[in-house]
Parts: sequence; C-alpha cells; structure tokens
Amino acid sequence: MNTEEVVRVSGLCKSFEARQVLNEIDLTIPEGSVVGLLGKNGAGKSTLLKCVLGLLKPTSGSIRVFNEEPWHLSSESKSRIGYVGQDINLYPWMKVGNVVDYVGSFYPNWNSGFARKLLSRWDLPVDERVGPLSQGQQQKLALVLALGHEPQLLILDEPVAALDPSARREFLRTLLEIAHDPQRSIVFSTHITSDVERVADRVVFVKDGRIVYDSPLDVMKDGVKRLRISASSNLPDTFAIRDALRCEVRGRHALVAVPDASDSMLRELEARWDAEVLVEDLSLEEIFLELHSTEPLMAAATGEAS
Amino acid sequence: MLDPSFQFAVNPSSGVPIYRQLMDQVRAMIASGQLVAGDLLPSVRQTADELSINMMTVSKAWSRLESEGLLERERGTGMRVAPPLASGTVRERKLDLTPLADPLVTRGQQLGLTDEQILDVVRSVLRGKKR
Repeated sequence: MNTEEVVRVSGLCKSFEARQVLNEIDLTIPEGSVVGLLGKNGAGKSTLLKCVLGLLKPTSGSIRVFNEEPWHLSSESKSRIGYVGQDINLYPWMKVGNVVDYVGSFYPNWNSGFARKLLSRWDLPVDERVGPLSQGQQQKLALVLALGHEPQLLILDEPVAALDPSARREFLRTLLEIAHDPQRSIVFSTHITSDVERVADRVVFVKDGRIVYDSPLDVMKDGVKRLRISASSNLPDTFAIRDALRCEVRGRHALVAVPDASDSMLRELEARWDAEVLVEDLSLEEIFLELHSTEPLMAAATGEAS
Repeated sequence: MLDPSFQFAVNPSSGVPIYRQLMDQVRAMIASGQLVAGDLLPSVRQTADELSINMMTVSKAWSRLESEGLLERERGTGMRVAPPLASGTVRERKLDLTPLADPLVTRGQQLGLTDEQILDVVRSVLRGKKR
C-alpha cells in the first residue's frame, strides 16, 4: 500500500441479513484529498463510512485505514481520525465547555485553543447545558469534538444537514482551512451538492450500494454534458450513444447526457445525423439527477463509468 | 501594488468548473484592459479564502493561464499578467479572433447596418485604441 493513501477499500461487500447494502466497493483516499460522497438516501453512504471507521464489520472485501484493518484499529490510529455521524449523542447533562474538556482529555494531541476558537466562531454557549441546545447547535458541537484533535482523516456523515445557511458557510470555511493542509484528508457524505462543489476536489457517487462514478470534480464537470440534438429527419428508435447516462428520443430530437463529451464526438453526431447539437454544461445537482434518472440505461452505463 | 477592489465572483453551482470560471474572468479582465501587463494577481490562498473555495481550484486556474502565456510566475511574489505576446502565424491569430467577430457582425446585421457601416464601427473603435 502506498504510504500516501490514507484509506484503501477493495471489493467491499456488506449485507445485513439477506439485504446487500454495499456491493464490490473500491475506493482510495489519498493524503490531502477532499472527497464528497454523494448518493440518494439509502444508497449505502453511511454504511460505507461506518465500515471504513471500523464501526461495522465488512461481510467481505478488505479495508485499510492508515495501513491497518479498521476493525482492529490501534488507538494511535484512532486518535488521527475525526468522525461525526448522523445520530449525535452527546452528554445532555454537561455544559458545552465541560463536554469539550472531557472529550479533549481522551486525546494526547488535543488542541484546546483551536477547540475554543471554533466554539466562539460557531456561537456555541460554553456555559449552557447540551441537552436543550437545538439540533443544529448539537451538530456544531459534535463537529468541534471531531476537529479538536486536528485529525488527519476527517469523516463526516451529512455534516451540514441541520445547519442554517450561515452556519453552513462558516463550517465550509473551517473545512477549507483544514483542506489547505496537504497532509489532511476529508471524506464527507451529503446530498447538498453545492457544498461539494465548493470544497471537494473529488466526487464519488454511490448508487444502490455501488460506486457508479468516481472522478475529480473538474474532470466531471468538463466531461459530463447534456446534448440537445436536432436532426434533419426523424431519429431511429435504435438511436443510442455509448455510455450515455440518459437518452431520450422524440421524433427528430434527442436529449442525451454523456459522461465524456468531446469535439470529435460532436462532429461525428452532426455529420452522421445531419444534426445540430447544442451542448449544455451541467451542475453537480443536474449530474446527480442525470445519474439517477432512467434506471435501465444507467445499469448499462455504470460498468463503464466506474 | 494590488488593487483592493480586484475581485472575482464564482458560482460553484454552475456547470462550468470553478477553475474555468476564474480563467474566463482573468481573460475577460485582460481583454477589457482592467488588468494590464505587470499587474499582480491575488495569491492562491487569498483568492481561495475570499471565495470560500478549495486552494487547488485557484492554483489550477492560475497555472493553466500561466501555460497559456497570459500570466507569468514571479518567484516569491506570485502571478503577474504577462506582456501581450504575438505568438502563432498571422493566420492562426486571425482564426483566434474570428469567434469574437461573429457575434459583432450578427448583431450589426440585426440592427440593420450595412457591411460598410459595421466596418465603420470597427474602424472607430480601432482609432480609439491608437496610442
């Protein structure tokens, strides 16, 4: 294993009873990368993250985190990981400041100055009890607890779900500050695509327990395009473009989303069908929707794309 | 040294990758004369912080513009706007200009101008640029 790889997942499968949730997942997280994990609810994102963290045992396949097996992770490696899950269970009877001190005491490398800075930056009341805090404030507190020891690997499962827009922006800023350290890696799952677009350098789409797309964000945006094709005469029912994410034909018009549009491809389409081809850029949200549109076509395309 | 009003605006949710948006804006600023040879661009760090985007994105934009010859890296200082260079054959450079001329001519025709009147407009703009 390359020393610059923080996480390496290969052939990971996970089933709960008869239900298979993860299917042959391969994923590598190099040092310094920020990976946005996208997918619908129930796609398997949280299960994947929990397997990487050693909170769930894989059914088959292998996972290495800091070159160790997560199920038997050493405490040294654990102290290099920060995690915020979806269910936040803090200590409702404790005061915010006390929780931070308490959790910090478990870490030899806890940076209490940084933790205090985050508390004030995120407007968390140090002298109030945790119990009555709003969900969003509890989420922010959980983030402080996950960041205080300045982990090398930060894993966040829907970190901004309960945050208001200004808190989300503050949080993204903090995330970017962390990302600017080339030794630290971040993996976060979300369905708020605009957050991914700001912060992530790589996007991984999970669909029905499989990774259907894994690519640098820029490459994805440069490549995935929607083509509006207007041919001079009706297009045949068999009209298709290889690897298309979606293909709809109506008369002499076709709407096609392709993973890798190139000039030569466009010229070819224009020449072959005597057509006018309009190319549209797609936002991550639109790409998300394209990837989740027509099921049967997707199934054909996934093998190539992943 | 650095114009403080100098700012970029990016839309992360656009279909155009952020690094391309930045490249387009620098190109536009150079084309419009807002940026001239020798001007210093804000640092990668500063730009990333201001826009709340990943540093790698900014770095990619600046590097691409450098390899296109629009920017020059100056050790210890940052990126400066490079002096305009006439590279390529005249034919190639004309070809470069054609896509910009196309909308001009189309608009002129929409306004009902004759070919000669459109050329008059171009000539008067040229006269304005004479140094």
